[in-house]
Amino acid sequence: MASDLLNLLFSFQPDLPELQEKLEYDRQARSFVSQLANVSGQHFLKGADTSQDIFEVLNPTVNSIAYTYALQARIVAAGENPKLQKNIPDQLRPGGSVWNKLALFMETFDPVQMRYVGPEWKRLVDYIERVARVMGTPGVAISPIRAGMLRLDRTTGAFTLTHLHFIRLCMETRSYVAALPILDNYIHSLPTTIPKPVLEQLEYSVPGADHTNSGEYIHSRSGHTDKITVADVQEYYLLGAMAYIGLRQFKQAKQFLEHILVTPSSNLANGLMLEAYKKWVLVSCLANGSVPPLPRTVNCAAIKQVRAASRPYEALAEAFTQIHNLPKLKSQANAGKDTWAEDGNTGLVNELRDHQYRVYISRLSRTYSAIPVSNISNFIGGSVDELTHYLEMLTDEGHLNARLERISKPEEIVVLRFFLDPTQGPLAKTEKQQQQALLGQTERTNILAEQVKSADYRLSLTKEYVEHVKRQSKKAAANAAGDAMDTTWGDGVVPEEEDMMADLH
Amino acid sequence: MDSNVEQSPFFQHQKAKGAIVVKDPPKFDLESYISNYDGAARLDRLHHIGASSTYLAIDAYRMAIAEAKRGKNVKLYLDLTEDFSTIAPNDPMASTDMAWAEQKNRAVKEEQDKLEHELKSYKNNLIKESIRMGNEDLGHFYYACGDWTNAHKAYYRMREHCTSNKHLADMTLRLVYVTIAQKAWMGAQSHLLKVDGSQLKGDEKTKLEPIVSACSGLAHMCTGNLLEAANAFIHTSPLYLTLEPAAGIRWQREVISGNDVAVYGGLCALASMDRSELQQQVLSNNDFRNFLELEPHIRRAISLFCNSKYSACLEVLEGYRTDYLLDIHLSKVLPTIYSRIRTKSIVQYFIPFSCVTLDEMNQKFQLTGEYASIEEELEDMINNNILDARIDLVDRLLISPPTNPRYNVHSDALAMAEQYDHTLRLRLTRLNMLSAGLEVRTDKGYNKEGTSTLSEGLGASLRGLGSRMGF
Repeated sequence: MASDLLNLLFSFQPDLPELQEKLEYDRQARSFVSQLANVSGQHFLKGADTSQDIFEVLNPTVNSIAYTYALQARIVAAGENPKLQKNIPDQLRPGGSVWNKLALFMETFDPVQMRYVGPEWKRLVDYIERVARVMGTPGVAISPIRAGMLRLDRTTGAFTLTHLHFIRLCMETRSYVAALPILDNYIHSLPTTIPKPVLEQLEYSVPGADHTNSGEYIHSRSGHTDKITVADVQEYYLLGAMAYIGLRQFKQAKQFLEHILVTPSSNLANGLMLEAYKKWVLVSCLANGSVPPLPRTVNCAAIKQVRAASRPYEALAEAFTQIHNLPKLKSQANAGKDTWAEDGNTGLVNELRDHQYRVYISRLSRTYSAIPVSNISNFIGGSVDELTHYLEMLTDEGHLNARLERISKPEEIVVLRFFLDPTQGPLAKTEKQQQQALLGQTERTNILAEQVKSADYRLSLTKEYVEHVKRQSKKAAANAAGDAMDTTWGDGVVPEEEDMMADLH
Repeated sequence: MDSNVEQSPFFQHQKAKGAIVVKDPPKFDLESYISNYDGAARLDRLHHIGASSTYLAIDAYRMAIAEAKRGKNVKLYLDLTEDFSTIAPNDPMASTDMAWAEQKNRAVKEEQDKLEHELKSYKNNLIKESIRMGNEDLGHFYYACGDWTNAHKAYYRMREHCTSNKHLADMTLRLVYVTIAQKAWMGAQSHLLKVDGSQLKGDEKTKLEPIVSACSGLAHMCTGNLLEAANAFIHTSPLYLTLEPAAGIRWQREVISGNDVAVYGGLCALASMDRSELQQQVLSNNDFRNFLELEPHIRRAISLFCNSKYSACLEVLEGYRTDYLLDIHLSKVLPTIYSRIRTKSIVQYFIPFSCVTLDEMNQKFQLTGEYASIEEELEDMINNNILDARIDLVDRLLISPPTNPRYNVHSDALAMAEQYDHTLRLRLTRLNMLSAGLEVRTDKGYNKEGTSTLSEGLGASLRGLGSRMGF
């Protein structure tokens, strides 16, 4: 029996020359998966923890599908849904032998094979998370899950529930930096329904094919994710924005929040949009110095409701932009203390207050080329020494393109001198750097163009679009034929009425 | 006596109100100045000078009271004497002649009754021309009494009884005249447009054009549209100076004189045009030259500005500040005009330099009292994006910032690309959500329990997160 199993396990060799044909690869992979699914878990457990262990025999990179089932069997045997720590055997705890294999597998599996075992992949990822939580150390799950996500889809741009679970873990453990590799990737597609014939019969559309866009093999039928809802997507973006806020990358945070604000809606907003809008107002102030107009694609009626509920925040932003009236922001911030605390935004509001000084000082560079520190302290208060210290911090951290000078002509004074030429000073960018930035941007734009094309393609597969095309062509045919034909009432029923695309659904 | 006038309750009150009070003697002679004007304009100007200049107050009020007594405007006479009695209580003119006032009031009332009665009988006879003239007489009468609103109404009622284009034009001119007296500039502008669009042809039309352009210049200036005012004034034909009365009004004596056109036009142009425009449209403008000859110092100021002698130009203008503050129309907009000219001079002065010391600036541009120091003034100009420069407070320099167009183009391109990129991403997200069937919508039942618990639970978890993040 064991050798039978081994024969079966090795029966799928992705490197075989005849499998280079994508359709053939697809057919074999499918039948292999359905065969494996029928093998009882007991068979996999034979010889566990000995030299005959299946894990030793299988190569996780080459036999990824088989390896998945083997891992699955071990997990099922230990109880897939442990509630207590004592229910988890040592091997499966973080650091245990099977756990290590699982973690290694997440880093090394063959991404193409993994497209065929979506549900199993998802169960493995979920199990990692569950064990880590039950063990009280959710942090240990971050790295294997992230590796698994990146391995499956280099761009991690096809949204799955795993994205949401992952960012939740990161937020709970305050590992914002760890979340960046995933957050920095734009979510270019959401799981949609792709018609079955497209997936099975077309040479370039089967999961095993060389896709440019991961949305074509991670979709609602591939099993990599459960059904997602609006709230899932919004929560992902909100938590992502908070991670960026934690890292003080306010511009990214602002852009993330905007993704929530543009959620399509039938003229009403939900709680997540409200939360997002409040944070968006504050974060825009931190990123831009003022609140920009909302993206044009927002639903106006929904935003109106949200804005009505966010007046204190707008007042705060208004006070922030009055750069020459520093006490106003302070009093506004104090007045709304309870509101900020209730919304969990106290920290951001405090940040806003600090930031206003910084904006004030960087605004000085528009008016002055050099100014004694004592003059600044006349405007904003505080002693010269404190201010000097603060300015030193700002220049060191790269917020100001300026330097502090000490002049001792009549008496010693400290002077803040701004660099007028953008190509000079500590924040200067050379032409080469600029060019590189431009090239980088070009590349990003090209990638985005590809993603747009792919989204367009997916849209063209939807039922609505097909129906639209059908109607259009019918209309065109009617127009073309209109003059020549005898237009009697019976003409409406054309023999070609039957649904040409019906087999797609 | 001067100090008495200055300390008088009237001027104390004016000062407290924030009205303009001028102490220095002006350059003009009141007698000859006022002899340029007739009718309501004369009274109005005298009143304004009396109420603004401590130096001329007594003379101006005396003349105004004497003038008012000759007219029918009893209310104005009473106001004038009341003001005057607080300035110079011992002056013989200061005591109100109540007998005259009562008698005049009665006479006015009688005249009004008579005119209204006449109009009524014309209306019964249904003769259009008579009704029109009846209304016109009533309008003239109200105007003489200083009742602008009723005058306007009476003139306006003429409209449906006008039978020729000439009548229509005359009526509209009358309306312009009343609205100017009312200082209702918006109304004046709309009436002027109607005059301009009237169906008159040939001679009639050319006669009206100078009036329209002078009056619309005045209206634009008083509403603060200096560039439009300048354009209207400088295109006023010199015919204006010798024009015969139109609609029974001698415009150059009863509304604005040729000298006014020169001063108003010159100042508005200085405040709103750049050097080449001034050279081409003002100094080499044959029409306007005739006006400028009346006010040679305005011409001198403009040519000084064009020759980049800004401080000399400002000096000339400063010299006439008192005069212009006593001008009834100019006094309100004068600070704006002067500060515009000044800031423009500073900007123009700075253009050829890469660096100027603040002391030099201070010397070239004497402070006018608006700012405590030249630094503050420059600071304000920079902050308002009028002047492109940076101040070095340490070495006391005004520095022109270096420009690096190549760098700027690169960074602008980058910023723009990022912006577009992000916009596109937002749209793609939206499109994806739509195509995945994700939309915020009202599902009954689900919404009532589902979302509320969801958002509450969510709010709580966010709060927790917020505090944990230290944010």
